[in-house]
Amino acid sequence: MLTSVLVVAAFVAGITGTWSPCGFSMIETIGSPRRRVFLSCATFALGACAGGIATFALLSSLGSWLSTVAATAVAGLIALSAALAEARGAAIAPQIRRQVPEHWRRRLPLPFAAWLYGVLLGLGFTTYVLTFAVWALAALVFAVGDPAAGVAVGLAFGIGRALPIVSIAPFVHRRFGTSALAAIAERPALLRRVRVADAAALVLVAAALVVGEAHGASNLGPGTDPSASGDLLAWATPPGGVLLRSGVRTELPGRPALGGSLVAWRNGSEVHVATADSLTPVLDLTLASVDAIGVSDRWLVTRERDANGGDVLVARPLQAPEDVRIIASVSPPAQIGRPALDGDVVVYHISARRSSRIVAADLAAQTSRVVRSTAAAQLTNPSVLGGELLYVRQTATAQRLELGSLAPGGGNRVLYRLGAPARRDPGYEPGHSRITRTPRPKLAPGVLWTTALAPQIAYVTFIRRNDGVASIVSVRR
Amino acid sequence: MPDAGSLAEGLASATSRRGFLGRVSRVLMLAAGGSTVSALVKPGEADAYHFCGHIFTTDSCPHPTGLPRIDAHGLPLRAQDGKPVDNIGRPIDSAGRPLDERGRLLTDPDGRPLPPAPRTRLCVEAVAAEFRIRTWVDGSWYRCCGGRVRKLVDCCTRGRRRITGDAALTGYCYSGRKVFCVMYYDTKIPC
Repeated sequence: MLTSVLVVAAFVAGITGTWSPCGFSMIETIGSPRRRVFLSCATFALGACAGGIATFALLSSLGSWLSTVAATAVAGLIALSAALAEARGAAIAPQIRRQVPEHWRRRLPLPFAAWLYGVLLGLGFTTYVLTFAVWALAALVFAVGDPAAGVAVGLAFGIGRALPIVSIAPFVHRRFGTSALAAIAERPALLRRVRVADAAALVLVAAALVVGEAHGASNLGPGTDPSASGDLLAWATPPGGVLLRSGVRTELPGRPALGGSLVAWRNGSEVHVATADSLTPVLDLTLASVDAIGVSDRWLVTRERDANGGDVLVARPLQAPEDVRIIASVSPPAQIGRPALDGDVVVYHISARRSSRIVAADLAAQTSRVVRSTAAAQLTNPSVLGGELLYVRQTATAQRLELGSLAPGGGNRVLYRLGAPARRDPGYEPGHSRITRTPRPKLAPGVLWTTALAPQIAYVTFIRRNDGVASIVSVRR
Repeated sequence: MPDAGSLAEGLASATSRRGFLGRVSRVLMLAAGGSTVSALVKPGEADAYHFCGHIFTTDSCPHPTGLPRIDAHGLPLRAQDGKPVDNIGRPIDSAGRPLDERGRLLTDPDGRPLPPAPRTRLCVEAVAAEFRIRTWVDGSWYRCCGGRVRKLVDCCTRGRRRITGDAALTGYCYSGRKVFCVMYYDTKIPC
């Protein structure tokens, strides 16, 4: 939604630029010669789009590295201030009192000159600025820090700058063109209305920003290992566990896992499965070395220790718990992650020294496949729901909560992002050149750990770096 | 005509010792045999680029902690203290398990050690995978840096572009390969 309203604001801001000295000049410059007008219109439009994309993609790329939550708040304030100023029709400040070079149209082939003019106007900050929205958009795009959004905003701005000009220039010798140009030139009320539209668009952007932040990550409180099913949420706490149903907390006597209509919890070597609505017992087991559980309506999956200290993942049908099926096993230091189930599908991570992968096993079909794998990063703590996979990806520069298709090679969407998982150096040695492209991301204040996936919300455990305190963070999908 | 002794003193006091000696050596080289000879002799401790010993503009190979320090096998080390790090930049023990700054095992909220992350050789595995190119570690060169002998290592490819996107140089690469990015290995040999 935020990107959509940013695009609208950029388009209107681009249109407002028509009232600049350069905007007027372009109509006459392109239309007056009556030769190669359409070609010049095309090159001008292409140039404007290229310029817009260059400016806003650059700003968003910088923002993706440097922007913070504080920057987002500042950008929101700038947007509101700019909206107020636009609504009042205030004089633009700071103003850029520069124009495109006039001699280009005399010395260069007109289509080429039009392209260059388009680039300069599309860049937004090289000539007169006709709306505060341009400044506000720069701050907003930087704060949002999404390069794709930057490209979209730049394109919309370029189209906005080009559209009135290429619509009027071919007809500047005809009645329509003359009237349109006269209307732009002689009716300040038109500009006033467009600036009011700028103001409205900026208010929408600020609102979307506030809503976006509200729908961003929120801390649900201390706890770890969340699991979700429908509108139920459960997580582990130091004394045991919590089951949250429609805002009502039920304390559980062990570390819980939700799946389908059931809840399971473990307390030492005791594993209990019960119905989630009434906690009616379904299955009770004693498993000597269990240290993680997952449950669905048909399966109980446990992570257990073998005699060599290695992890073993074991599945038991709830209808026949004596039918023990080993899904996976590894030797230390490799580890198997906490299992998470959706129906017959269990997902888990295998972290080893040569690769990090997420595996999905179909317990009914007794098949498994690697759905994500890398040697460059660490992929951990997946959860699954309705063919979608949620997991944590840690690289040397970032930690990301990613949501994507369960299918191997499926695309991923980043729901939540933190800085680097470990401290980094500046990329250069003291006394030497600082010129290097080595990224310098901030150290994250903690580590993203176990996840849970609900229809509308994703959950992740956040472990604070300085004291190891864990809390559950919710992120709207 | 200025006095040669005071000129030399002025130069020496106005610049670093290394810079002064470098200038003097180049002047002597020019006097002895011209610019070709001067160009062949590089300073023993380079100070122009982003880490000691590196004498051109090719950028670092992407490294988990920044500066492209590696061990004898090409695996990443943290530059500040030479500790082995995994591919996400965490110091690790001999089993690959991540450690905190005090050398203690990092654990999850249950007290279980955090899982190991992959650790791969910087040039021939990590760079090759990230940029989808085949890479080689060919020749190398040694310089004195910070009182220890440092091995400057080029990560070579058959491509003509380096990591910065512009034209690559031959550097220490062989068989027509060019330098894609650079790394270094600190020996324990004093110099």
